[in-house]
Amino acid sequence: MKKIEAVIQPFKLEEVKEALKNIGIDGMTVSEVRGHGRQKGHKEVYRGQEYQVDLLPKVKLELVIASARLEEVLKTLVAAAKTGKIGDGKIFVYDVADAIRIRNDERGESAL
Amino acid sequence: MSQTPLESGTTNAANQRYSAGFEQIREHYFRTGDPALALEARTKLVDSIVDESFREFLAPVWPTGLAAITVGGYGRRDLFPYSDIDLLLLMDGAPITPERKDALSHFMKAIWDAGLRLSHSVRSVEECTEIHIQNIELNISILDQRFLAGDSALYAQLMAKLPKFIASERQQLIRQLGLLTRTRHDKFHDTVYHLEPNLKDGPGGLRDLHLVWWLHKLRDPLKNNFDYLAELEEAQLFLHRLRCFLHFSAGRDQNILAFDAQEEYVDLPFIHSPTVAGWMREYFLHARKVHRTALQVLEICETPASGLLSQFREWRSRLSNSEMTVSRDRLLLRSPQQLEADPELALRLARFVAKHGVSLALDTERRLREAAPRLEEHFAKPSQLWNYLQEIFSLPHAVLALRAMHDTGMLAALIPEWRLIDGMVMRDFYHRYTVDEHTLITIENLLNLKKEQQGTRINFAELLGEIETISILLFALLLHDVGKGAEGSSHSIEGVRIGKVVLERIGMPAEQIALVLFLVERHLELSSVMNSRDLSDPATAEYLAGRVGTIEQLKYLALLTYSDISGVNPKAMTPWRLDQLWRVYIIGHRELTRELETDRIIAPAGVTEEVAAFLEGLPMRYLRTHSREQMEDHAQLAIKSAKLGVGVDIQRDSGVWRLSLITVDKPNLFASIAGTLASFGVNILKAEAFSNSRSEIVDAFTFSDPSRNLELNPSETDRLRQILERVVLGKADVRTLLAGRRKAAAPSTRERLRPSVDFDNQASEHATLIEIVAEDKPGLLYELANVFSEASCNIEVVLIDTEAHKALDVFYITRGGAKLADEELGAMEEKLLAVCRV
Repeated sequence: MKKIEAVIQPFKLEEVKEALKNIGIDGMTVSEVRGHGRQKGHKEVYRGQEYQVDLLPKVKLELVIASARLEEVLKTLVAAAKTGKIGDGKIFVYDVADAIRIRNDERGESAL
Repeated sequence: MSQTPLESGTTNAANQRYSAGFEQIREHYFRTGDPALALEARTKLVDSIVDESFREFLAPVWPTGLAAITVGGYGRRDLFPYSDIDLLLLMDGAPITPERKDALSHFMKAIWDAGLRLSHSVRSVEECTEIHIQNIELNISILDQRFLAGDSALYAQLMAKLPKFIASERQQLIRQLGLLTRTRHDKFHDTVYHLEPNLKDGPGGLRDLHLVWWLHKLRDPLKNNFDYLAELEEAQLFLHRLRCFLHFSAGRDQNILAFDAQEEYVDLPFIHSPTVAGWMREYFLHARKVHRTALQVLEICETPASGLLSQFREWRSRLSNSEMTVSRDRLLLRSPQQLEADPELALRLARFVAKHGVSLALDTERRLREAAPRLEEHFAKPSQLWNYLQEIFSLPHAVLALRAMHDTGMLAALIPEWRLIDGMVMRDFYHRYTVDEHTLITIENLLNLKKEQQGTRINFAELLGEIETISILLFALLLHDVGKGAEGSSHSIEGVRIGKVVLERIGMPAEQIALVLFLVERHLELSSVMNSRDLSDPATAEYLAGRVGTIEQLKYLALLTYSDISGVNPKAMTPWRLDQLWRVYIIGHRELTRELETDRIIAPAGVTEEVAAFLEGLPMRYLRTHSREQMEDHAQLAIKSAKLGVGVDIQRDSGVWRLSLITVDKPNLFASIAGTLASFGVNILKAEAFSNSRSEIVDAFTFSDPSRNLELNPSETDRLRQILERVVLGKADVRTLLAGRRKAAAPSTRERLRPSVDFDNQASEHATLIEIVAEDKPGLLYELANVFSEASCNIEVVLIDTEAHKALDVFYITRGGAKLADEELGAMEEKLLAVCRV
């Protein structure tokens, strides 16, 4: 099993969710986060007051999938989240040791 | 832990008898839907099992000195299918021998083995008649006591002491009950309108019914008449029937009315509502009544005999007038039957609530409910209801009044379209409340902004101070989701259709209707930009500006969106979203300010040649803020200006004055007009100055006339027009006019706004953008414009707005047709700030 952690642009969330749904991936955890990588913050000026936006708003998706589906899911995710501009985000992949469905103690991939 | 009698694992006789009896009760319930019989029958069944066990195990070793008393729901004979068996074992002081201890455990085991969940306590008469602050539930449960088995003389001792105990601890018990109730309600955000309500503990649930019952038992018979229980009978039947179902269907003590349970329940033969939504409305109606009655009865019983609070209440009663009286902090009608002949009395009542923050008495609520049909008939015709509502909305306790109007059915009577969303359930995991409750919460959110002192919300609080009419927003919020109750693919579009009918009927002026409907139609616009567009892309800013139209409308929409998202559930407006929404606002604001200078009208279509020639080259904003009639009037003024050098028009319009002036561009023009207005002592609220391709300048000023000079002396309007014409044509000097005026004193001693001046040389290709925010004062605009004149600058575009002592000024400035040099901005800033500070 693999865990995918994807930090993407907020405005791409709906598209990404839809694309994953189309390949049968429904379950995920979504959180509102802030951060920046190479895309540094920028300044917004409103009535002479500067709003320094150091940490840009992003959305983080976390999902655990069967290892066999990894490449397919990554391809889908990248295709849906990409604008080609700086700030599109990053995807990290981790190995997962086990999964347990609390309701009925199911383990491993069948618990996903 | 198993709770179903059939699964308890033993097959003793009591268990078999209980299971058989339970099945009969269940079968009868699902056949008839009668909860009373189910509760009564289970109580009897359990009584017989407990009594039997008592005789078998306890009576032989405890001939006297022990009594089994039922308490709580069991004591009231309200035993729901899976409710616990609350038993009080009342004992005298005799020590418990090992033999008796053994008998006790056999007795309890027998009851558990029968398949019942026993919840017991062992107490002496003294313990039952002293107050337990840490365990007030014990004191309360004894209010529902009922003798079942054992030593009746011991029970008689308790009964002899109980009335005295209640009499001496009455206020303490009531106070503790009040604390328990409010803590419980707080857990549910004090509203009945949950999509998956808790039938037992939620506001309007059975605990609230019990509260009324307990207060009935605790009341001071000399002080409180008590006729509330009869009014709640119908609600009680409804809730009892439903709770029986929830228990039977879950096979345990389940009290949450979940979505799937709602669906199952409505399919039962004895439920006559065709739809889940329709039936849920019935539920909310009953729950609402229980909730409000419980709170009011509690408040009545809590009234202390003396003290500061009662003096305050006494003071309140001085608010009484010829129609209404305030008694014990509640509003009553002097002659309720008058509602029949004069339905508008209901609105005066609501206005009183909004003004003084006094809630309606139960009796007043009932009268209003009864008068609702008469009210509806009265306001079915086109009316001036808008005047009343607008006034109510502007008063300090508007939300209290609105909630009272909602709860008494008055709102639905005044605006029958409200019924489309009254108690309407939204079935998703995102919304927490029904649509009507969500709507009221959005209004609360908006008005609560006034209290914000710090944090990110302060940005929105400041915006609230910058909009012209708050009631526009309240009407927009009231109607923003009304389209959800109609068939149609977009609730925003349906909302516009329905809203138009409502607003025209209640007599709102056409200009305001257009704005409210625009806000209803676009109420999801900012959310959608926030969620689905790249905020750093310039195309997003342009798109947003196009959808929103003007800075004023952007402010309204930002506040509407803030209130709407915050009203979805208590946690919906995360700091992350709040920042995103503010960013959307800033982006839109910057784009709309930029466009003032850069986006010009080119070859306008659908207008006469005269008007088209006039419009050519004006900013797009002009098209968005003027009606066709106004454009035609301005085109006529332009013709006059071409002949005579200047065209001036001054009109009075809903309490303010509007000046339109058209002429060819000349130095000092804007400063001269602002100065002339200042010399008349009027107060400039808004101002715009734009030029078209023919180098004609359109100056538009909105001003108030605090001394009412123009209103009281019709000749003064003519004099103002003539002087303006002379000043523009260079025949009079504005400095001479102003010389005669005394310098105005500083407006007030309250905290002054720190002025800010912001330059932007990137916004436009041709001109320097200067944004100024300052405390408003008489003559400010003239003095600012003078700074530009003295620096030989030309004012290309002006947009001025003043709300609540705050002047928001946008100027586009050029010198010799070019931007100002960056080096000179510092000196200019100093001069502008100096003018703002004085």
